[in-house]
Amino acid sequence: MARAARVDQQPATGTTLVLMVGLGVAFLLFMAFLNVVKNGNLLNDSNLLYAALIFYCGAGTLYLGFGITGTPAYIRYASLATWAGLLANTGAVAHRWYEAGHPPFASIYEMLLMFVWTLAVLTLIAEKKYDVKVIGTVTMPVAIVGVVLMQLLRTEVHPLVPALQSTWLHVHVTLAMLAYAACALSFALAMMFLIQDQVKTETFLAATSLFGIATYLGILTRFEKWGGLSVVAWDPEQKAEVFLSRGVRLYLVIPDLGWLLLLVLAAVAAPLILYSVWRNGHNKAMLDIANRAMFLSISLQVLALLFFALRARDGRYASLDVDGLFPTSLAASPFILSGLVGSIFVSLLYLLLLWRREELQRMLPGAEELDRLTYKTIAIAFPLLTLMIAAGAYWANRTWGSYWSWDPKETWAAITWLVYAGYLHMRITRGWRGRRAAYFAILGFAIVMFTFFGVTYLLPGLHAYA
Amino acid sequence: MSGLPTLCNNSNFAALAGNGGKRASSPSQKEEVMAAPTLSVPRRIWQTLAAIKTGVILLIVVVVLSAAGTVILQRPATDPDEMTRAYSPQVLRLLDTLGLTDVFHAWWFVLLLSLVSLSIIAASIQRFPNSWRFYSRSYKSPDEAFRRAIPVRALIPVNDHNEEKALSVADRVLQKAGFRPQRIVRENSFSLFGERHRFSQMAVYIVHLSLLLIFTGGTIDALYGWRAFLTLTRGQQSTQVQPQNGKVRDLPFAIRCDGAGQENYADGSPKRWWSDLAVVKNGQVVLRKQIVVNEPLVYGGLRFYQASYGKTGKLDKLLLTATPRNGGPAEELTIGPDETVSLDPYATVRLAEFFPDYALGDGQVYARSNDLQNPAVHLIVQSKAANKAINVWMPPIPGLEQNASSPYSFEGKDVQMAYFTGLEVSHEPGQWAVWAGVVVMGIGLILVFYFVHSRIWVAPARDVHGQLNLWIGGSANKNKDAFEHRFHAIVKQLESELKIFPQAELKKPFLR
Repeated sequence: MARAARVDQQPATGTTLVLMVGLGVAFLLFMAFLNVVKNGNLLNDSNLLYAALIFYCGAGTLYLGFGITGTPAYIRYASLATWAGLLANTGAVAHRWYEAGHPPFASIYEMLLMFVWTLAVLTLIAEKKYDVKVIGTVTMPVAIVGVVLMQLLRTEVHPLVPALQSTWLHVHVTLAMLAYAACALSFALAMMFLIQDQVKTETFLAATSLFGIATYLGILTRFEKWGGLSVVAWDPEQKAEVFLSRGVRLYLVIPDLGWLLLLVLAAVAAPLILYSVWRNGHNKAMLDIANRAMFLSISLQVLALLFFALRARDGRYASLDVDGLFPTSLAASPFILSGLVGSIFVSLLYLLLLWRREELQRMLPGAEELDRLTYKTIAIAFPLLTLMIAAGAYWANRTWGSYWSWDPKETWAAITWLVYAGYLHMRITRGWRGRRAAYFAILGFAIVMFTFFGVTYLLPGLHAYA
Repeated sequence: MSGLPTLCNNSNFAALAGNGGKRASSPSQKEEVMAAPTLSVPRRIWQTLAAIKTGVILLIVVVVLSAAGTVILQRPATDPDEMTRAYSPQVLRLLDTLGLTDVFHAWWFVLLLSLVSLSIIAASIQRFPNSWRFYSRSYKSPDEAFRRAIPVRALIPVNDHNEEKALSVADRVLQKAGFRPQRIVRENSFSLFGERHRFSQMAVYIVHLSLLLIFTGGTIDALYGWRAFLTLTRGQQSTQVQPQNGKVRDLPFAIRCDGAGQENYADGSPKRWWSDLAVVKNGQVVLRKQIVVNEPLVYGGLRFYQASYGKTGKLDKLLLTATPRNGGPAEELTIGPDETVSLDPYATVRLAEFFPDYALGDGQVYARSNDLQNPAVHLIVQSKAANKAINVWMPPIPGLEQNASSPYSFEGKDVQMAYFTGLEVSHEPGQWAVWAGVVVMGIGLILVFYFVHSRIWVAPARDVHGQLNLWIGGSANKNKDAFEHRFHAIVKQLESELKIFPQAELKKPFLR
């Protein structure tokens, strides 16, 4: 298996890193405390979130240390840090709930808040109950990115329009979050199974590249004819998207962003192309080049993210529908942002696999255990999905008089349900195990992602709220 | 030996021996397959319908077509203009002919869903007899071959003459573990059999039944359900509702709006729309309810939802002060359109016209818009003294107004515009089947995933050397690893209670 050149690392000994992280956390907390005490109002959700971020950073660093070196001492303190972060996060959730007067599910900011909280909870459960200690390596960085995004997407508490003021809404959204979390967990477990089942690293290379291609193609549906990318306009005073009329958003075109993303798409696709060449020719050098191409792809993706972030933050842009120049914001394009960040993150995970496969395989549970865990997780996800759809239907019936109107989101939720029902059927009735089951679980999660992101970003409909 | 399918068992042996994933076909089926030329067409259709492959293919087709229905613009929801904007005329014609612009109501989609239902029914009916046979007849007494074949088992050596004591100890242990053992009489000794949650074997049929319930409800609603719209102003009553497509429907009762309103948040966005509704039947008010969004009024199988709220552009009430010309206190009065109010025993005033936004043209007053921007009021004062009608205009319109001759001068204080409340009316007779189906599915899923049918047998057995052993075997239809833990624990407890040092068991067959 061709390997890219290893980056030199100085592995810190156990206590040194823990001490450094501990000091860093304490320092940051102290500085934040000083800053906050000046302004009063210590326990608002912004400060609590900042505290959570500090703890998650500490936890993330220690988990990464564990993921890279395998020193068990890191795990104990990483857990502690995660607990502390979770405490602060819970405080932030409670505060936001109290301030808003409704459970925090009404905007992207609130959804992210709950998502990060769920990640921390899942990390601790996976560690304590299932003994998968290394999961923090993945969940904590995602949580950190989530909190950072939240600082950028900070929204005021918007009072709910009448249709959203129902208990059943809260039930439905809670169930959706839990179900999607369980599906995400099953996806992670299925991936870990494939690693333990000795799927070749280059197959993961191809899959990572494919994921990047799909993400960039999805983003590039907003490509405009002269090389720009369409984004939604943002009103900085209202801190909300700009609507032309009910349900119709105002779109702006950021020039040249389309060309850049097209270029990055080519870089993202390169590893897959090189992989195919390698498969057909079996020229060992090709695989090496493919891995180098992955580095290039990551660098360009980071560049694209920076370019997008800077352009979105500064500048006013023209619209195709209305005269004048309007501002936009990162908060107006949560899906583009998630896509770019997600693709970078997945590529980095591939690098982790490439460099540390043996250690990972040592630290993860066995293949058969993971296969069983995947099934158990889906056995939890499926009833949650069922209840989520039922609660949504009941809410729709009370609000609009129709429990099923074949809305794109409803239809794709049903498709998700059918796919997971398919997984369970194949497993229970046909005895599907191992790789086939894992692929099916991965397919299921891909559909979940499309239902959650794709439907809102690519297809219009009644589900305009989320 | 892993992956034992337990949903369908021809016999316990077939289950334990691991028939792989295939259904053990009953002998009659085999004969029929081999005697293909004489297989009747209906029978063959039934076989295909009941096959798992058919179900899988049907579901894939449903998924693909549903996905198409979300990607292709659908007709009732999308404006016709948007349709022509999105697709070229040829493409649009093709999509329309194929029915792809209204996938979910197309006849072939309905047919597809019916086929899915039929396949569920057929598959369930075909498998039910075997499952029922397994469910209804417990395999309580393990024979020699069974005891050798079962993977989860243990053997505990027992002192001779202690067969009865050993069994009673086992009885106690199984009782404590929740297995409720029964004594089974064999040729010249007893054995024990305990099991838990037998019903979980049938749980899968409950889940499929619930699916069928939901489908039935949906079909009933598709055939007999309808939705319509109704607009009412305050005080207005109606027995007719307007469906989106089609002629007006008559209700068996009347709905009256006694009031409606909108509350806003501080920033002006709507917080709450409400309507006070009354159901009037044969002149009597049968039901009153204040409805808001998310809380409809339900009567006679119909549901009335608060859907919208808006201005009619017409006046509801005008608040005026009337001051007599020859001195005297000013009166405050409220007057509605075409309403006559007495000012004093000798004079009355009638609100003849109201323009929320007036304009003058050709010496005439006309309404420019429905928004309250530039109001004009036309009052007619009838005075017994003057014995004629005096036209009072606010603001005074030159050429029309006779304000000077009016015994009272008027000043407008407040204007209340009339609002309409928009109600969505729906009739969904099938929804009860749907909700029942949902509840049953919830129960079914809990039974399927969280209740395990586990069995334990205990039997005395003598080995080749004449040593008496207590044979224990166990089986569970899911979560086998958790069951094995319990089994180990029970065996350990048995061993300790029998105060026997665990000698090397004849086999350590704790296979998965």
